Amino acid sequence: MISLWWRQIQSVIRLEMKKTFFAKRGLWVYLLALAPSLIWLGHSINTIQNAEQRRALATAHPVNSVAMHSVTIGMDLEEVTKTLGEPYARNELFRPRGPAQGPVRNQVERLSYTDGESDMRITAIDGVVRGIRLQDRCNISKDSLVFATVFQFFYLRLAVFFGCVGIFMNLFRGEMIDKSLHFYLLAPIRREVLLVGKFLAGLVATTVIFTSGTALQFLALSWHYDPGAVGAFLQGSGWNQIGAYLGVTALACLGYGSVFLAAGLLFRNPLIPAAVVLLWEAANLFLPVKLKKISVIFYLQSLCPVVAPPQDMPALLRLLISSAEAPSAMVSIFGLLAVTAVVLVVASLKARKLEINYSTD
Amino acid sequence: MNGGTTSERVTFENVSRFYGEVLGVNRVTLSIPPGITSLVGPNGSGKTTLMNLMTGLVRPTRGVIRILGIAPEDPERLFPLVGYATQFDSFPKGLTGFEFVYSFLRLFGYNDAKCKALTTASIDRVRLGEAAHRKVAGYSKGMRQRIRLAQAISHDPRVLVLDEPLNGLDPLVRAETINLFRQFAAEGRHVIVSSHVLHEVDMISDQVIFLSNGYVVAEGQIQGVRSEIQEHPMEVMIRCNRPAAVASKVFEQDHVVAARLHADGGGLMIKTRDADRFYRMLNQVALDGIDIESVAPADDNANSVYEYLIGSEEGGQ
Repeated sequence: MISLWWRQIQSVIRLEMKKTFFAKRGLWVYLLALAPSLIWLGHSINTIQNAEQRRALATAHPVNSVAMHSVTIGMDLEEVTKTLGEPYARNELFRPRGPAQGPVRNQVERLSYTDGESDMRITAIDGVVRGIRLQDRCNISKDSLVFATVFQFFYLRLAVFFGCVGIFMNLFRGEMIDKSLHFYLLAPIRREVLLVGKFLAGLVATTVIFTSGTALQFLALSWHYDPGAVGAFLQGSGWNQIGAYLGVTALACLGYGSVFLAAGLLFRNPLIPAAVVLLWEAANLFLPVKLKKISVIFYLQSLCPVVAPPQDMPALLRLLISSAEAPSAMVSIFGLLAVTAVVLVVASLKARKLEINYSTD
Repeated sequence: MNGGTTSERVTFENVSRFYGEVLGVNRVTLSIPPGITSLVGPNGSGKTTLMNLMTGLVRPTRGVIRILGIAPEDPERLFPLVGYATQFDSFPKGLTGFEFVYSFLRLFGYNDAKCKALTTASIDRVRLGEAAHRKVAGYSKGMRQRIRLAQAISHDPRVLVLDEPLNGLDPLVRAETINLFRQFAAEGRHVIVSSHVLHEVDMISDQVIFLSNGYVVAEGQIQGVRSEIQEHPMEVMIRCNRPAAVASKVFEQDHVVAARLHADGGGLMIKTRDADRFYRMLNQVALDGIDIESVAPADDNANSVYEYLIGSEEGGQ
């Protein structure tokens, strides 16, 4: 019996695969999966162009790196130019002090230097250095932090989420709309076996699409680094990070997939549960500790190798964030698997009672 | 409907199905033997609901259904024995006719070679071989009807359920399809078809189930059903040399309610409430020297039976 069920599951996967991978209405899922890679590719191209520009400027206006780092706030502008030489760019403007202070104006000067690796912007007011901004060239550890933020706040919460909505909800609901689900229900296959087959088909499709998206992001991100730096990163924590991100992506497909497969069976309009789950997952940061744990994103985030703090969030919102102790990797993985199993059992109970009534679906 | 054990029949015991407040079928009790059985009724009479109930696509609100002794809720045991071609004119996207039949045969657990052989055989049986490798989306309505039929018969079922199977077929294919049903029935299988085209039902059916507004209003062989309806006059056409004489004689009988002479003067139409007494009287007329060429029931077909049963305003639908 088990071997028959397995053959039937394989047949369902074969039937569904073409639909999930090559459906015209599923093209947007590919765009979601590829969007971050395109952004990272743009970042790489921009970084390469900036580096070339910096090197050219450093050749025309050579600056000593050590001297560049010796500039401090309060220095006289003359002293700065004596130490670093003429900047490659200099802007000057006058700023009124305000009506209370009379017609006198401040002279604001901005000087730009580069040693070929870093950019330095000096802001001087009335000839005295008041601000220094040193922009280092990109490095992998800095980029991996940005990657973590994009991965957790965009890729998991939006791209994988909506990709799973698009693929898993269509497995049953889409066929009810197309009026073709009855062909499955007229075959000698248990409804539970059909459900598992469809779920696995969706899981294979989303996992392939979104783990490929994750891998492509790494490729696009590391493109502008020299092979030596990439090799060193991979030998360090790189491979582990990549493995963890790929695993988290697959688990996201598993968790969200089961939820949306069930939603497609339980609700006539699956967009309503999708919106509710989206809100719940988005509000996870601000939920009390106990509620925080009833979500997919909580466990996924705890499995991510790099913590992505919401640095740019306004201070007031940051106050609302509740911190829950991150569960161990094993707890997270088995927790997600358990949630998936429970949701699939609920879905299979619904599938057993499923009727064909296309006119009302 | 007599003959055969429960395990050879399709049975409904006091089955009702409601869609919320709307009645699908109500208190249906049937025992359908092998052969060609037609479900007849206008749109909305409950034909499709009855078919969906026997294949488990919908569940009864109450009552028990058994197909050859198997409950429709048990797909693993039911569908190796049952094939159902629904009325839904839709297919999984992107498949050719061959892929469509083949893919769903794989769900039976058969291996690749067996599925290919069964697919080829069933597609050939509905004469769609040349179009088998074209996308179903490009098929004509008749071809789509045939590929659905091919899919329903592909696993050689003992019970074939077909919802309006002759819709959209040209006369030649229609004749071939009817022949196919007859072959199935001759092998002792069930062929249960729905139709609202009554002359087709007359042609193909061994037994008929008349439905109206979710109720079974009559069932059995068409002739048998007709004879049960004593309150409706039966029309008999007589061809003879002296129709006026026959008319005057039959009007003496209290069971004769109408007589109409044919315009050609070679016969008459008589309406009677008692067929047995009428035929006995007719024997006497013949003995009196009137030359009777032929006597034939004029309304012993599904159409007239249907009109009698459910009223003329529905009969025309």
